[in-house]
Amino acid sequence: MKPAYFKIIILAGLISLACTTRVSEWVLLNSLPNQYTLICFHNGPLNETLKKQNLNVADRIKTANIQFKTVPRQDIKEPYFGLYYEDRLFSRYNRPDEFRNLTTSPLRKKIAAELMAGKLCVMVYLKTDNIEKDEKGLQTLQKALVASPFRKIITVFELSRNSKEEVHFASLLLNVEDDLKRIQEPMLFGIFGRFKALEPLLGRGISEENIILMIDYLTAECSCLIKDNLPGTDILFADKWDNPQPALLNKIIDENPSLGK
Amino acid sequence: MQNDTLSYDTLNNRPLPKWLIDQKNGLSTIQPQKIMMREDNSLKISFIVTTIFILLAVAVLTVYFLKKHKD
Repeated sequence: MKPAYFKIIILAGLISLACTTRVSEWVLLNSLPNQYTLICFHNGPLNETLKKQNLNVADRIKTANIQFKTVPRQDIKEPYFGLYYEDRLFSRYNRPDEFRNLTTSPLRKKIAAELMAGKLCVMVYLKTDNIEKDEKGLQTLQKALVASPFRKIITVFELSRNSKEEVHFASLLLNVEDDLKRIQEPMLFGIFGRFKALEPLLGRGISEENIILMIDYLTAECSCLIKDNLPGTDILFADKWDNPQPALLNKIIDENPSLGK
Repeated sequence: MQNDTLSYDTLNNRPLPKWLIDQKNGLSTIQPQKIMMREDNSLKISFIVTTIFILLAVAVLTVYFLKKHKD
């Protein structure tokens, strides 16, 4: 067989494979997380202390999806740090110790481990600490998952928006949309791929119908429409995404092909 | 406080995430090919082509036989 024919067959195989890959798997394998930018704003030339401090900060965050910059500004008295995502200011810090565990935390490590283990997604239920509101949404979530054929490949984690241990993670989630910080309602984030968080369902939006639609979105065949307009915000996290386990979703769909339509 | 004045009505008016709207409208799934009804002219064209072919054949053969019988 001529090498050109062989190449065409391989290419056709890859194209057909790309069209049958599910959204969650395609994003994990192919979509690189967007970069955050941490900027140290300072007035005048950098002194030795600040230089040393910035080197230390840059070294601490170098394995995450973030870059570090220093920018001079004439209109400030004291240096400060701004965390940006696609030109949106997420947080402002006056001292480096305020963002000590910015790029990693225990819950983020657990979520990444679940995604790398081939799970469809991780649903993070962000609680308000208002028991009545939180319980209502949680019950709806549990009902929806019990009815879903994909329940075994979805992990649910609960997180308080006031958590001190996960303060940066909660803040990143509340920055997925610019008005979330003002809304005191429980929120349900679907996290998939390389820590991409979908815009959340919140309050009365946490309904069985919407949760099923979220699962349907992640289990759908990956179309060019989705690839070109991936929703959600990449969460800041320091980890490598090499060699994930095969998607567990494929096994469920192979056993029951009607679920994949 | 702003949080206390936030009512369900306000939240109801809050736009849904785009991915959810697309999913509800079925836009995120691969769309089946749309079959358009088009006028079928193939029979008409076939008649015209056949008629032209027959007329040409008759004309050519007529000329051929007339020339042959003249001699």
